[in-house]
Amino acid sequence: MDAIEYLDLLLKSLLLAGVYAAMAVGMTVVYGVMKIVNLAHAGFLMLGAYFALEMYERFHIDPVLGAVLALPVFFLFGMLIHKTLVRWLPKSDTPTLASLLLMFGFWLVLQNIGYLVWGNEDRSILTPLTLSSVQLGQISVPKVNLIVFACAVVCMIVLQVLFRRTWFGRSMRALIQNPYAAQIVGVDDEKTSRLTFGIGTAFAGFAGALLGMLYSFSPDFGRQFLLRSFVIIVLGGLDSVSGVALGAIVLAIVETFSIIKIPASYQPAISFALLVVVLLVLPKGLASLFNRKWRAA
Amino acid sequence: MRNSALLRTVITRFVVVALFVTSVGVLLSAAQDTINVGVVLPTTGKEGRPGQYQKEGIELAIKQINDAGGIMVKDKGKKLQIKEVFYDDQSDSSKSASLTERAMSSDNVIAVLGGYSTALGQAESVMPDRYKTPWITTGAGATAIFGKGYQYAFGTLSPVALIGTTSAEFIGSLMDAGTIKKGAKVAMVVENTDHGVDYINGFTEWSNKHAGYFQIVMTEKFELNATDFNGILQKVKSSKADIFLSDAHLPDYITMHRQYLQNGLHHEMISYGARGPEADARKALGAGTDYIFAGIWWSKMLPYPQVKKFADDYKAFTGHDVDSWYAAPAYDGMRILAKAIESAGKLDKTAIRDALKKAELKDSILPGQSLKFGKDGQAEYPFVITQNKPDNKVDIVFPKDSATGAAVAPTPSK
Repeated sequence: MDAIEYLDLLLKSLLLAGVYAAMAVGMTVVYGVMKIVNLAHAGFLMLGAYFALEMYERFHIDPVLGAVLALPVFFLFGMLIHKTLVRWLPKSDTPTLASLLLMFGFWLVLQNIGYLVWGNEDRSILTPLTLSSVQLGQISVPKVNLIVFACAVVCMIVLQVLFRRTWFGRSMRALIQNPYAAQIVGVDDEKTSRLTFGIGTAFAGFAGALLGMLYSFSPDFGRQFLLRSFVIIVLGGLDSVSGVALGAIVLAIVETFSIIKIPASYQPAISFALLVVVLLVLPKGLASLFNRKWRAA
Repeated sequence: MRNSALLRTVITRFVVVALFVTSVGVLLSAAQDTINVGVVLPTTGKEGRPGQYQKEGIELAIKQINDAGGIMVKDKGKKLQIKEVFYDDQSDSSKSASLTERAMSSDNVIAVLGGYSTALGQAESVMPDRYKTPWITTGAGATAIFGKGYQYAFGTLSPVALIGTTSAEFIGSLMDAGTIKKGAKVAMVVENTDHGVDYINGFTEWSNKHAGYFQIVMTEKFELNATDFNGILQKVKSSKADIFLSDAHLPDYITMHRQYLQNGLHHEMISYGARGPEADARKALGAGTDYIFAGIWWSKMLPYPQVKKFADDYKAFTGHDVDSWYAAPAYDGMRILAKAIESAGKLDKTAIRDALKKAELKDSILPGQSLKFGKDGQAEYPFVITQNKPDNKVDIVFPKDSATGAAVAPTPSK
């Protein structure tokens, strides 16, 4: 492989990092505040993809706009799920079996609703952009991936601003750092959790709609992203938004470049080996290497 | 004292009722004029659609057999109707195995049909010999299932390796005709399953026997449901291959080919194994799927009268067209089982197994028009090669005696 091909791969892995960051950020937010490993995240991704499809097929709304519309819809949906299901979970500083089982069960329910409504065929969103690319010299860059990357970057910036510059963000950070102390100084635990779950779900729906532009999907969609999301949030430091970006970049680069020397069938093994190494060497994630001030949450 | 008397009365009554219910059940089953056939397929979950098509194929065959009076069973001295005992395994291999076990052990079936796809078929395949019950998989074609010496396992799908062999033979014929130049470099990227491995083996075997046709410059495997193929496709690009061959299930075919097109790749011939003409893929990628060729087990375009009749009957039975190959091997699976039961002349499972080993369906709708099982239990018949053409058209392009159109080769550049 020559230098141009390496550059091509680097660019593709950065675009892939955008996809990974978009899909993992919602899960990180929920874990950070509520210590819930949200397995239903995969179900929200799937619903987001179908939301964009329905918007496109029924109302001819561009999938990117569909993804933006998914934000308020899934935010309200998330708040509803919190009010009806999640808030009954016992409070804990660490993930509990009850929360794991509840979210896993809810994911299965969402999946089966998906099968009932849309059947089990693979669906896709085909727009004029789907197969088009921008030519940068000898490198061709898919336009859809560029859009997803840009959306992921905007998404990260919005969340950073939200966490750093708003009262809600400060409440969230306080709850992440010390939930008991936060409540003593007047942070409304219940309300913050509800809003957090709503935001996590909104970004999952948003990411799902974007992923629907890149992949075919069925009600089982999201499973393959769920495992990668775990790797990314552990790499990034479990509760750090900027850590997610870092984790996504590291995972995407390792996965893409490892294929040059190692058979592609070992790709999942490489991801999980990376996870094990980080858990052993840097249990607080790659973000812990940097200044604590750099941490978003 | 009174309590123990009451307990005795309750137990006695319970035993009497249980005995009565069991006796009635036994009498009813003895009096039943039906042959129970188990069907274990996914009609929900990710394999639900092909599973549903296979179920429809089996049910059409059962309806036609029953409408004709049933199966003649010599030792009963009369024709018996077939009764289907159906279980949906929800595309879950552990359920697939347990439901097959349940059908064989508790439902008094004489045989079980099912097992779509290879993964689910593999899970079911351990049960037939354990329960000495014939099992015909209508949707698992990997040779690994049939290489274990099972005595009660049969399969109506021709070995996957033959897709590779037939693909090689097809491109070889284009080379002989001067359409593609001999000695072409081939890059192979397959799923990391027995299916993918068989495909590579089949192609490589033909290539080794016919020196000078192909130069395999790259073989790579990928995990199912992969999210990114850019690294692999970059390797394909670097290999400077003339022909790109893959073997993938539908979601991976769509994702990989989307990225293939986005990367601006182009090869003289492109294939995704048994995938290519699926409506979902053509809807997802539009004209991007034009000229892809596929090796498939059956096509409704096969020029046999029985194929046309099947297509018409299937549409009348289900209300929709037979738009894929899935129903055909299932339909013939049920028909060859009926033939074996009739040959056995009794409802003894081992006798039916022995009859299946010798059975031949001479009016088969599958390519070659004859279905019989090899020594290992797997059927072997030729594949047909189809090629996608513009405007959602699909042609059989190989073998020539079944062709409905000429192969377009090399693939036109956009």
